[in-house]
Amino acid sequence: MTPKDLSKEHVALLRAAKAGSLNRRELMRRGIGLGLSATAIAGLISSYRPAPVAAQASPTAGTSPLAGQSIDMTILGIAGWPPSRLGVDMANELFKPYAKEQYGYDVNFSFEEAPFESLFQKAATSLQSGSAQYNIIISDSQWLGALAEPGWIVRLNDIIAENPELDIKFEEAAAIGYRIYPDGSDNIYGFPQEGDVIGLFVRQDLMSDQAERDAYKAANDGEDLPQNWDDWLEVDIDRYERIAKHFTRPDKNLYGTAMQWSKVYDYVSCYAYPFMFSNGGEAWDPATGQIEGIVNSEINIKGLERNKSFLQYAPPGATNYGIGEEVDVFTAGTVATCLQWSALGPQMANQKPGGAPDEVADPSKPVTPDKVLIVPPPGFKQEDGSLKRVYTLGGQPWVLNAFNDEAHQQVAIDFMKFWYLPETQLEFSKRGGDTAVIEVLDSPGYDDLQIHFRAYKYMMRENRSKDFWHDPNYAEMLAVQQEAWNGYMTDVVSDAKLALDYTACKQQEILYDAGRSDIAPSDICSDISL
Amino acid sequence: MAQTTYPAEAPASATPSAQTKRRLPLARALDESRFFPTILLGPILVFFIVWNVVPLLWLLGVSFYRYKVTAARPPQFVGFQNFLDIWKSTEIWGLLGRTLSFMVLTVGGATILGMVLGFLFWGSGRMPGRRLALTLLFTPMVLPPVAVGTFFRLIYDPIFGIANFFTEKLIGQRFDFLGSKDLAFGATIAVDVWMWTPFMILMTLAALGSVPKAELEAAEIDRLPWLKRIRYIILPNGKFILMLGILLRTIDSFKTTDLPYLMTNGGPGNKTEFVGLSLYRTGFEAFQMGDASSLAIITLLIAIAFASIYLYVLSYRETRAQLQ
Repeated sequence: MTPKDLSKEHVALLRAAKAGSLNRRELMRRGIGLGLSATAIAGLISSYRPAPVAAQASPTAGTSPLAGQSIDMTILGIAGWPPSRLGVDMANELFKPYAKEQYGYDVNFSFEEAPFESLFQKAATSLQSGSAQYNIIISDSQWLGALAEPGWIVRLNDIIAENPELDIKFEEAAAIGYRIYPDGSDNIYGFPQEGDVIGLFVRQDLMSDQAERDAYKAANDGEDLPQNWDDWLEVDIDRYERIAKHFTRPDKNLYGTAMQWSKVYDYVSCYAYPFMFSNGGEAWDPATGQIEGIVNSEINIKGLERNKSFLQYAPPGATNYGIGEEVDVFTAGTVATCLQWSALGPQMANQKPGGAPDEVADPSKPVTPDKVLIVPPPGFKQEDGSLKRVYTLGGQPWVLNAFNDEAHQQVAIDFMKFWYLPETQLEFSKRGGDTAVIEVLDSPGYDDLQIHFRAYKYMMRENRSKDFWHDPNYAEMLAVQQEAWNGYMTDVVSDAKLALDYTACKQQEILYDAGRSDIAPSDICSDISL
Repeated sequence: MAQTTYPAEAPASATPSAQTKRRLPLARALDESRFFPTILLGPILVFFIVWNVVPLLWLLGVSFYRYKVTAARPPQFVGFQNFLDIWKSTEIWGLLGRTLSFMVLTVGGATILGMVLGFLFWGSGRMPGRRLALTLLFTPMVLPPVAVGTFFRLIYDPIFGIANFFTEKLIGQRFDFLGSKDLAFGATIAVDVWMWTPFMILMTLAALGSVPKAELEAAEIDRLPWLKRIRYIILPNGKFILMLGILLRTIDSFKTTDLPYLMTNGGPGNKTEFVGLSLYRTGFEAFQMGDASSLAIITLLIAIAFASIYLYVLSYRETRAQLQ
């Protein structure tokens, strides 16, 4: 029964009662039935209608202090990064009417963008002048310290306390990586906008080709190529190397793997760290700021060497690979497997944005969604024989500009409340965004919504992904590291130990000089150079 | 002095005097005012002070501070510490050495090629399609560096780049031009030379155009060999314009940032990391304004030193003659 049917029943009952065609008992029976139906339907509607929580905590239309006003908001996000764009598109498509109905104000969102490597520069130069040009910023997680320390972004603890609907249960990796600064404190500075992890993109059509399987088996003592999710879960880094080696055929322009080894931004760092983290290595001690002796540990030296060993199975020029180059080589069919950010699932699978799961975006490309499997990246065998995966956390938080006036800050908060409604997060997921809200991740059918969601969820959980520093000196520490690690990958730096010793010395010096650590660089650092 | 000589000179010509009478009183007053040159120079002086002198002094001031924009602490006066840190830094010396090598090779390459091509074009005045050829030749110079960097990154691509198409056809081998530690520096130099050779052609043509025709005709009549014509007639007359071109290129090459940023991002490792790129990273990625300012001051001093050396070389003979 729909509300329309109920209304018709009500009219018929009134007419019958007026006409005297019903006795009192019948009138009472049908009246109670109608009343119960109406209550049930009202309950259903109210549970279906969006934002019951927000409606309780927020002023209703007309009672909001902003009611009747028109407010222009600007979001600064990452250029060419689909999840950033999604946030703005959804703000205009969905939040705009929601705000009008819920709060009674008109709002328009515009999008300013810059590539990953220059977004912080764009944000910082504006914020340094005390500008509210960008009301909401989609920051990279590592910039939290650099944005929070000068007081450019809002500490959110009080806002969350005043708005309990923003006290959301996020996946632990996201709750820490995208929100907390300094590490280990309870200061919240961000809300997860887009969760992201490293996934392994596989040309499953090649893996299941019988001729390939036979050839691989013959060359590897009967070991088969992985055929499904469960098989890939069992793949360790040694087996992955065998697979990469098997598919490396330069004469046919086919290679076994691609990762990011570029010097640009954090590319080589993000893909070399997993070779260290998964074997117990660390980047630093956030409590003391100690880096020397940690980042240049024996485990990390071996990890960096192992990461470099995969270059022999990658296409020529892979030392310049970043996000875009990986999408290009994978979709062009040049590589059989590729380690890449899971957020790019649809792009890597050549899937039409917003289309059906098997709808092809660019038919001229040899790779189509039906040929691609996205699985967790290889594990690293531990001494007890178990497999461990600790990969670098990607993704970005929303942060709020501390120079916003009251009206813009209120709209930003209202938008955050809207953003974390389960139905908004579900819609975000349907459009290809990676949510970090546990409730949504656990909702039935979530894994099948997008081609990469199963791998994303798997890698997001149980400490399989983690971030590195959130320190305000992030940019300097990263520049040193990128130069040394990319230098090692390109043979500019002779060995991994020198690359990591140099990294450790310079980063220790940066933290010590900035007063972020009491630990001074050791004597060997005085004459170290690449 | 001017007031005493002016009335004496005025009657020398009746026509200017008649013109003066017809002038408006305000214009005449301005013309005769001793502040007239100052009034003319005023706007450009104000512009120069606001946009050049003040920022330069500000830069100099900041270079004495430890000032990180993203740090919570206020700027701290450290005197010459930033300059001492640069002096002691092996990275900075390496950076300067690399930048100077890049500068010498790019300016030298563009100058030699530009002069050769300039001479060829100078001597081909009747060549059909000369104007079109010159226009096409100048194209690289007018392209934005961002486009040049992006195109050459694609041209050098080891998989689909056209450069590798030719190397494979010619010698059967592909190269990772921008990812190889042995090739990236040279590949970046080649692009800079390609881009700026037209500028040196232009300067060479301008220099050749400034040579008096009478001297060239005399050389022609005397059947002076080409090399002697260049040495005794062309270079003495055209050297100022040529040196100006070299000076401008030297300063520009020393601060090259865009090409390496787009093509290699300073890599592989630090093989194409130059002063300009490092300044950008220090100032606008790390936001270490004190360090960046001190490095900028040193860069400025080096540029001034180059300019002084060129000017000295230009006037060397005159200076020596005066000393003797």
